Amino acid sequence: MQQTNMIEIKHLQKQFGKFQALKDINFELGAGEVLGFIGPNGAGKSTTIRTILGLIKASAGSVSVFGKDAWTDAVAIHRQLAYVPGDVYLWPNLTGGQTIDMLLHMSQQKHSQRTDRLIKAFALDTGKKNRTYSKGNRQKVALIAALSTDVPLYIFDEPTSGLDPLNEVIFQEQVHALKAQGKSILLSSHILSEVEKMGDRIVIIRAGEIIEAGSLDSMRHLTRSQVSVETSQPLAQLAQIAGVHQVTFGNDTQTKAEFGADTEALNTIMTYLAQQHIVTLKTTPPTLEDMFLRYYDAKDTQKAGVDL
Amino acid sequence: MSAFAQSWTLLRLNLRKDWLKIFVWLLILAGVFIAVAAKFESIYGTAQQITTISNTLMTPAMVSLFGVTPSGVSLNTAIVFASEMMVFWAILMIIFNYSLALGASRIPEENGITELVRGGYPVGRLAPLMAAALELTVVNGLFTVITALGVSATGMPGIDPAGNWLFALVLGLVGWAFGLIALIFAQLVADSRTAGIYNYLFFGIFYLIRMVTDIKNPDYTWLSPIGWVEKAEIYTYNRWTPVWLFLILGIVAFGIAARLNVTRDLGAGLIHIRSGKKTSRFLKGPLSLLWQLQGVSSLLWIIGLFIFGAMYGSVFNSIGKIANTTPMIQKLLGSAGLQHLATQQLLSFVGILGMIFALVAVLGGTMVLNRLYSDERQGYLALIQTRAVSRTKLFWAYTLYSLIFTAILLWAGLMGTMVAGNAVLTHTLAYHYYNDVFISMVAVALLLVALNAAFIGLAPKYHGVVWIWLMLSFFMSYFGKIMNLPDWSLNFSVFNWLNQAPLHAMNMTHFISVLIVAVVLLIGGYIGYQKRDLQER
Repeated sequence: MQQTNMIEIKHLQKQFGKFQALKDINFELGAGEVLGFIGPNGAGKSTTIRTILGLIKASAGSVSVFGKDAWTDAVAIHRQLAYVPGDVYLWPNLTGGQTIDMLLHMSQQKHSQRTDRLIKAFALDTGKKNRTYSKGNRQKVALIAALSTDVPLYIFDEPTSGLDPLNEVIFQEQVHALKAQGKSILLSSHILSEVEKMGDRIVIIRAGEIIEAGSLDSMRHLTRSQVSVETSQPLAQLAQIAGVHQVTFGNDTQTKAEFGADTEALNTIMTYLAQQHIVTLKTTPPTLEDMFLRYYDAKDTQKAGVDL
Repeated sequence: MSAFAQSWTLLRLNLRKDWLKIFVWLLILAGVFIAVAAKFESIYGTAQQITTISNTLMTPAMVSLFGVTPSGVSLNTAIVFASEMMVFWAILMIIFNYSLALGASRIPEENGITELVRGGYPVGRLAPLMAAALELTVVNGLFTVITALGVSATGMPGIDPAGNWLFALVLGLVGWAFGLIALIFAQLVADSRTAGIYNYLFFGIFYLIRMVTDIKNPDYTWLSPIGWVEKAEIYTYNRWTPVWLFLILGIVAFGIAARLNVTRDLGAGLIHIRSGKKTSRFLKGPLSLLWQLQGVSSLLWIIGLFIFGAMYGSVFNSIGKIANTTPMIQKLLGSAGLQHLATQQLLSFVGILGMIFALVAVLGGTMVLNRLYSDERQGYLALIQTRAVSRTKLFWAYTLYSLIFTAILLWAGLMGTMVAGNAVLTHTLAYHYYNDVFISMVAVALLLVALNAAFIGLAPKYHGVVWIWLMLSFFMSYFGKIMNLPDWSLNFSVFNWLNQAPLHAMNMTHFISVLIVAVVLLIGGYIGYQKRDLQER
């Protein structure tokens, strides 16, 4: 069944002159799924999204949305999706309210009670000219317009980069609400905790290629816990244990330490710590952030090794 | 910390940023000026040639375009040169300085560069403004020195060292003073686009004052700073009063700009931005958006061009007078013959006006059309391009708006001329003459707008080519005959393809070809716009 996938990308490539921005992108977004799309700046997140939106044309490969071709059927596709770009720029001479209503009109939608509720929730003064808005307020305009559009698919490209934590929470609540209604969401971000909280599945892009895809759980092999420990015996051999990383001691006697621990090595590490008599122990669960850093560490070390 | 701290550092940064622009402009402004000076003797070297051209230049029509040519003195090549070049070159200097002044004041402030410099480094409050003023001073100083030395080297008959220096200095100063005035407008509003509109409005008003007073009573030309350049009377009397006037004007303008600068917040304008409607039922698609963004300014453009035309029309009774009519000639021609001659003269002037209005109309029309690309580059369009708005709709909304707007602008200019002209003329000019000019020039104007549309679809980065071609065409058609450019080269000017009206019947072959090419360009632009990647900010 083709219809079960909202977005399907196969072997997507995009060339800008001599620069190959996308080398080989493959992933799909299932119906009712929230997909986190992760990568550092310049990895090709926005380029991929712009191809999905039909703003730019794929050099090779295929992109389909709702089973339709992203380039040729752009308008029909746009009728059924809402999008918020990472950097929102608005016509300086319109007010925020005018902009929201215009965008809704252009998708054959109306300014609804939901729109009003969103304006209230995000505390946006819609009577002000766009020129006077801060980055965060411009982003709110785009978010309100997108979130009050009733469509099956939402695409957010780093939607909270200008929002304060309070508004970020409101955004997350809205995404949860959409998810509860069975909507599909593509959420790109380099703020990993954001995606971690909301995403069912994660796709990681790096230098124009998808390097990992799957559920968070399936990526545990890449994760690393942060451990903070105090023992009565010195932890002299800690750094030699396989799976222990970046040890920093909190005192000269080496009885206080902080380090990163690979998930698969936890048992060995704990045994050693217990031998040194644990006084206090705190572990922070693995975050996507750590996983991400670790992935790149590994790659870069490998690469450096080859180069040497 | 002094308010002017680090002005020199900022000046160096400005010059490093603008060096290419300055280099190219100086190459044109000083280079072409000197080149014309060098060639001038071969065009107007003999007494016979000088008499012929001065008779032409003294007709009111020519006075309205080029300014007053001295009378009551024996003319030489240098005086003719000064009369032909003065006003036109002053305009070019002002355009150049406007661009420099905004580029050093409101534009970097809009981009956030001024905030970075002022907030993050020990830079005085007034240093950016001072650096802008210094840049204007340096660049116009350079122009003055290069031009004065260059013209001296040509050895044109009739030049004198004082005149050469005064000529270059007055041109440098008119640009300098208008650039400093532009700094005032840069304080008033928060966006460079509006600041630019104020600048050109200011320029337009004083240009018209110069034009009307030159024809009616040159004593009043002192009212317009653009007219001051003529008052230097280069190579005839070499008067220095305009130099002092420009210096005072520039310094006062800078003082006002500085005073306004310290009373406002960084990034803001003095004119407050009012709040607006919280909702909109009106904005439904690209066309209503365009009307919301451009409607008021479009109407002002149309009214402005009507007034511009009316100002020219209001001097038609003077322009219709035949210069140098002796009783002998009057007897020979009879009153009917004289009237015929006057009408011919007026009609030929209406033809030139049609070209001027077409120039302004194309500038106005393409400014709207270029929003299709600049709004894409600014990132404004990203939000509506991802709504259910097709590229077809977007392209044609902008293109048709600007095509129709261009035509209306041209029409408004000609109608302004007709209404005011017929009010002052005893033998009025019939409507069909204006209509003929309109039909010819609208084809030219639409061709240029269509070319601009083709660029936006196919190679948006290079859409500036249209304005360059437009300016060169205008320059050639305006100056071509007077400069004795070879006939074949005049065909480079798009205006020359259809400049037969109203004196003669329009060349139908040219007319139809121009329209066909315009349609082809529009379709090409449309196909290109469908196929190309949309750009990101």
